Amino acid sequence: MIWVTWRQHRSQAIICLGLFCAITIVAVATGAWMRATFSADGLGTCLARSAGAGCPAAISSFVREFNSPGTMPLNIVLFAIPGILGAVVGAPLLGQELERGTWQLAWSQTVPRTRWLLTKLALVTGGLVAFGAAVTAVMTWSRAPLDRLTIRLQPPPFNVEGLSFACSLLCGFGLAVLAGLLLRNTIGAMVVGYFAWEVPFLLVTLMNGPLHILTATARIACRDGCPGASTNSVPPVTGNLGDLVLDVTRSGNQLVVTYLPASRFWPLQFIEGGMYLAIAAAALGTAVWLLHRRTT
Amino acid sequence: MTDNASVPALRADRLGKRYGHAWGLRDCTFAVPAGAVVGLVGPNGAGKTTLLALTVGLLAPTEGRVAVFGEPSRAHTASTLARVSYLAQDHPLYRGFTVADMLHLGRSMNPGWDQALARGRIDALGIPLRRKIKELSGGQQAQVSLTMALAKRAPLLALDEPVASLDPIARLDFMRDVLAASADTGLTVIIASHVISELERLCDWLLVLNGGRLQLAGAVDDLLAAHTVLTVPRQTPDADLPGRRISRTDSDRHSTVLVAVDGGRLAAARSRQPGWQAEPAGFEQLVLAYLRRPPLGVTAAERALVGGARPAGEAVAP
Repeated sequence: MIWVTWRQHRSQAIICLGLFCAITIVAVATGAWMRATFSADGLGTCLARSAGAGCPAAISSFVREFNSPGTMPLNIVLFAIPGILGAVVGAPLLGQELERGTWQLAWSQTVPRTRWLLTKLALVTGGLVAFGAAVTAVMTWSRAPLDRLTIRLQPPPFNVEGLSFACSLLCGFGLAVLAGLLLRNTIGAMVVGYFAWEVPFLLVTLMNGPLHILTATARIACRDGCPGASTNSVPPVTGNLGDLVLDVTRSGNQLVVTYLPASRFWPLQFIEGGMYLAIAAAALGTAVWLLHRRTT
Repeated sequence: MTDNASVPALRADRLGKRYGHAWGLRDCTFAVPAGAVVGLVGPNGAGKTTLLALTVGLLAPTEGRVAVFGEPSRAHTASTLARVSYLAQDHPLYRGFTVADMLHLGRSMNPGWDQALARGRIDALGIPLRRKIKELSGGQQAQVSLTMALAKRAPLLALDEPVASLDPIARLDFMRDVLAASADTGLTVIIASHVISELERLCDWLLVLNGGRLQLAGAVDDLLAAHTVLTVPRQTPDADLPGRRISRTDSDRHSTVLVAVDGGRLAAARSRQPGWQAEPAGFEQLVLAYLRRPPLGVTAAERALVGGARPAGEAVAP
């Protein structure tokens, strides 16, 4: 069964490898350029001396240069990859067998269909996790200078660092596998699987789904009438470049700051990754169960 | 798994399968001896594919059971899957695989796989191992499918409309190879088809299905011996005929009647009515007679359901 799985998913594995190479080339080039600019602008010394308070203009221009969609098309591409790749790999796994009638060949050999499916899911999931982990590692290295100056709690880079990328990929894969079983059609399953993945994706990306349960509040005494105290100031009023300031209000001679501390990165990753994984597990579990009991 | 001749190769006991409200197959009971080549005949939707899928373990019965060499078939179990080689309609194969890949798949998915047999057959057929399936002719694809089924080394081979999409030469070659395999190894074969003339040359056993009910089952020679075609004057009522009337065709002055009757009663009837002409029944005549009459055991209401309740073109769901 291992050979069968490899043979049937060989071209997808090659696509993943090619995609990874392309991402790596762009990411390494960007990372090297970023590192050169970072030291040329003297940002390292500025950060060490004043935690960024002494060079807000240099930080702003660095972040603008390397974090805008125009100069960093990779960011846009990486947004869509988990959903698209998950659908491309997941939809044919059952959809194509049912569409072309080859299920009658596959499931009348001496391997019962449930074991057939579990073996394939285990191996393909393993491959996708490896791909996701590799992309995450490359992107995390590439963005390291930028991550010192900007907020990691929002995508990008939240979607390509930590657990998010691989878990989101598995979510798209699981939904497409289930869609293939239900629709018995590869293209239909790709489309339905992709749009089903968009639901949790938009939920966490646009609506900052789990963000607000982990916020912290700080009260900062005002000096000189609290100048420049907006949510967008660099560095933020909390003094840490990685903190995501959500709201600033004045209360007497204090600023009440609602923010998400940079240290919340991993708890948020676990929440978001866990949500993606729960959806993937539910979809794949349903597919296995449906196939197992489908004797009618 | 045994070739013991006393254990039927294929045995069904009140086997039934319901799709929603309609029965695709019902109350099906028969026993086929080992080594038989069984023709499974019936119109589209008669339950042929359902019977095969139940045998192979792709479906679970709603009632009754079917056993292969004494072991009841159970859906989705390795032991059932190992006992039957199944060739589905249109012999599905992975189109992007090479022939060698297909054999590799057979080897990885079947513990009893006979690689020497598979390679030998493919070489003898002159099919290049490195050629992709989609580049093969329909006849070659059918032969690759048959090779996979034979190399699985299961004692029962189930073929569902194996030659429906093939040209006449490919049909002959395919069927010749099936018969040779059966003769060489004592393989029991069941072939579903609605091409009756094809089966006449191949089968020594016959199952006729119509409306999801078994109409006729038995060894071809026994069945032919038990039926006679009588030509009688047109006004002869059915009650005067010997045995059971299966079909009757009336012309201007005479009627041609196929009856199921034993030799003694036939002789007695002919001595009473010397004007009656009797001829042995032919294979095709016999099958058509059973297919043309209203299906046994099916009520008018059920007939309407069987015809319309299942999605067209889909005989069996996975």
